[in-house]
Amino acid sequence: MKKPGFLVLYLLLIIAQVLLNNFSFFERYVLVTFLPVMIMCIPVDKGTIFCMAVAFLTGFAVDFLGDGMLGLTSLSLVPVALARNGVISLVFGSELFARGENISLRKQGVGKMILGTLLMTAIFLAVYITADGAGTMPFLYNLAKGGVSLFVSTALSFFIAHFLTSDEKWK
Amino acid sequence: MAKGRFSYYPLAIAAVFILLEAVSLVMLKRSSTLQDIWLNRLSHNVMGKLWGGGESIRNHFSLQKQNDALREENFRLSERLRTYELGEEAARERSAGIKPDDRKFNYIPATVVKASRNTIHNYIILNKGRADGVKPHSGIISDCGVVGIVSAVDEHYSYGLTMMNTKISVSARVGASGLVAPLVWDGRNADKAYLTDIPLQYQVAEKDTVFTSGFSSIFPAGLPIGVTGLSNMVNGSTNRTEVHLFQSFSALHYVTIVDNPERDEIEALEAADEEKEGRK
Repeated sequence: MKKPGFLVLYLLLIIAQVLLNNFSFFERYVLVTFLPVMIMCIPVDKGTIFCMAVAFLTGFAVDFLGDGMLGLTSLSLVPVALARNGVISLVFGSELFARGENISLRKQGVGKMILGTLLMTAIFLAVYITADGAGTMPFLYNLAKGGVSLFVSTALSFFIAHFLTSDEKWK
Repeated sequence: MAKGRFSYYPLAIAAVFILLEAVSLVMLKRSSTLQDIWLNRLSHNVMGKLWGGGESIRNHFSLQKQNDALREENFRLSERLRTYELGEEAARERSAGIKPDDRKFNYIPATVVKASRNTIHNYIILNKGRADGVKPHSGIISDCGVVGIVSAVDEHYSYGLTMMNTKISVSARVGASGLVAPLVWDGRNADKAYLTDIPLQYQVAEKDTVFTSGFSSIFPAGLPIGVTGLSNMVNGSTNRTEVHLFQSFSALHYVTIVDNPERDEIEALEAADEEKEGRK
């Protein structure tokens, strides 16, 4: 029952992100996103190409349904999917792939989960804020916006990861 | 099958990544004017760097041709300069009531085919020979000074001994009109030679330029060779002064062969004199 649960939750989270984008009044100063952690929590037995395709479609859906620029979220989310296996190996250990285990907050612990979320979100924000600014914003502004967004998004993503990786809820 | 997947999987990932990013960029370009301008600027920068890089690589591979062309041009300019210098010198001598020295050297540009640097008898092989007018005992110079002396000549190549050879001795002058002494290499440092047989009463100042004296029939006078360094006494009878050579023998590629057409006449005169002394 886990896979349908994950899929449903994944789709609900896409809608939540669209709503967040459409009704956020602080988007100019802070970018709140939990899309990177959704990519990170895709079952580890799925390959990089699959994850990149999912990331692209997710980004496309968010941009298409929201009022953002079409292509911006896909552009930022595909590198996250590309880096996913590397980040998981680095933070959670490569034995996760060998055992075929999914990421779990209970098994991997809070520290690793926060670090993994932080890295994935940082990749997303770096690409998103750079492309969104299109060279018109000062570097320090982008840096400050990135820092605040990283803090807020990582905090929110941590709780999203808790729901996405908790097996018990979907049994 | 598994092996094949292992080999091509990273390439497939890269291809899919590039494809998805390209599609995203195209969508972004079409959805916003600001991003369109930014991406255009970025792509122009990248293309500029790529074209620039390609041009640099192309230039690098045509350096040999450019060097050859530059050498030819340099040689032509040097010839013209020598003509003017000779004319100027002759005019000066005429105005001073001296008969101008009309001894003219022939200059032949050449490329180093092979050169040794690691022995005490170093040699050099040049791509010009008898067919090009090279004669034995011609001088070899470069824009950094004296290189050596042609020892043997073949039809299309010539063999010379470099200054880094203990058998070579070049008549040198300190400063424009100072002490004249033989310059020899001691077989140790590649960038250093020694002015020898300096009478004890002469003190050679440091950092003075050393030129060819023109006393030998091999090299024209006034070619810069190096700068003087420290002096020391040898066997209590003469002084010896080190000379830091301008010519770096490790970076030698283009040289000029200097031939004195009147050398045979001078040497015949010297031989006749030696013969006369021998009879006495």
